[in-house]
Amino acid sequence: MIRVTNLHKRFGALHVLRGIDLKVERGEVFVIIGPSGSGKSTLLRCLNFLEEYDQGEVLFDGELVGYRKANGGKLVRDRAANIARVRAQMGMVFQSFNLFPHKTVLENVIEGPLIVQRRNRAEAIAAAAAFIKKVGLDDKTHVYPSKLSGGQQQRAAIARALAMQPKAMLFDEPTSALDPELVGEVLAVMKTLAADGMTMVIVTHEMAFAREVADRVMMMDEGAVVELDTPERMFNAPAHPRTADFLRRVLH
Amino acid sequence: MGYTWHFNVIWDYRIVFVRGATITAQLTVGSLLIGVLLGLILGMMRSSHLKLLRGPATFYIEFFRATPVLVQLVWLYYSLPILTGVQMGNVASVTVGLGLHAAAYFAEIFRAGINSIDRGQLDAAKSIGMIYWQMMWRIVLPQAVRRMIPPFINEFATLIKLTTLGSVLAVYELLHESNNLINNTYRPLEVYTALAVAFAVIIYPFIYLSQRLERYWQVRS
Repeated sequence: MIRVTNLHKRFGALHVLRGIDLKVERGEVFVIIGPSGSGKSTLLRCLNFLEEYDQGEVLFDGELVGYRKANGGKLVRDRAANIARVRAQMGMVFQSFNLFPHKTVLENVIEGPLIVQRRNRAEAIAAAAAFIKKVGLDDKTHVYPSKLSGGQQQRAAIARALAMQPKAMLFDEPTSALDPELVGEVLAVMKTLAADGMTMVIVTHEMAFAREVADRVMMMDEGAVVELDTPERMFNAPAHPRTADFLRRVLH
Repeated sequence: MGYTWHFNVIWDYRIVFVRGATITAQLTVGSLLIGVLLGLILGMMRSSHLKLLRGPATFYIEFFRATPVLVQLVWLYYSLPILTGVQMGNVASVTVGLGLHAAAYFAEIFRAGINSIDRGQLDAAKSIGMIYWQMMWRIVLPQAVRRMIPPFINEFATLIKLTTLGSVLAVYELLHESNNLINNTYRPLEVYTALAVAFAVIIYPFIYLSQRLERYWQVRS
């Protein structure tokens, strides 16, 4: 579903991604962990081209993301409409929710189907209602984001992403900005998505969640993959001392 | 100082003020439309990451902000025809001139409003597959416009007042009508006082409306 080959990204002199390779299978829950500044979020943002990459390739469902091959195999930036089309196939959930504050929950959710997919309004609303119910916000349908708790906002953001009927969902530290008592409700929604067989790439610090839900966990440090394994092996017997060290620090 | 006011003069010649106010309104609406549309384009060009768009917009804005509007008007009316053979009437010249002038200021208001929108909003819009224009019209501008309202009204009030410069090109707006009236009645005190009041009556409702609008949006978000 997602294939990353030798991905490099620099911010000026800072080399934040140093040759990442990974493959996410259809229906897989792929969790990325690692210390802050390790490049996890940047990697995730490269997957749907919110961040441009300097070298390497990101393939989504067999399609190159953000670039196209010019004559001679050189990569050139893809047309904006094409980038947008590929992006729309991946839902993204952000640390800071990023709901549209001038729109109600329902309006947030139907925005993509209405404007990007140009679907009929009644149809979009009916579909949106189902997603809003799925994230447990049916009593908040016509409420503005500013009147919602962080957990509710993040669930609304998940519904907004789902409404595009994406082939995969990207989560960028979805619970890091939440009060501790609100983390559970968001993780619960994510678990139901995983159970539904959604392909998910999740950057998170929630190790218990990763252990329970992930099919594979990838540990990153300093812009590179440290190790990639099943959660059982990663959490019980990490192969790399840096992983062991990181887990010791976050679990206690 | 025993001046006796004769405001009955104003009442007798009220049609002159109505006529002047009509032209003033016409100049304002016309130049506002030009200013807002062109300003919107310039503002977006100036916040673009493409130098090809940003450069000309920046030049335009700085040039128009650095030259007196009166000079711009007379240049448009007297010099442009010599260079191009295009002679606009005096009303059109003032409308276009004030529009071009206001565009520079509106552009800065738009740019500041656009730049004030959180980057996360852009990320979210892009992530649901929006292209630039959809993101601008649906997400960025509706939010930015609310922040632009106070400076926008400010500039709008300035624009109404600037229409009095039309008198220099013999446009029969309020000031020019007033001057003519004074020539006929020898009542400058009453006429200029009425003129000031007329402007206040025209401008204040807009200020009031904007304040109401601002409050309404504050409540909603």
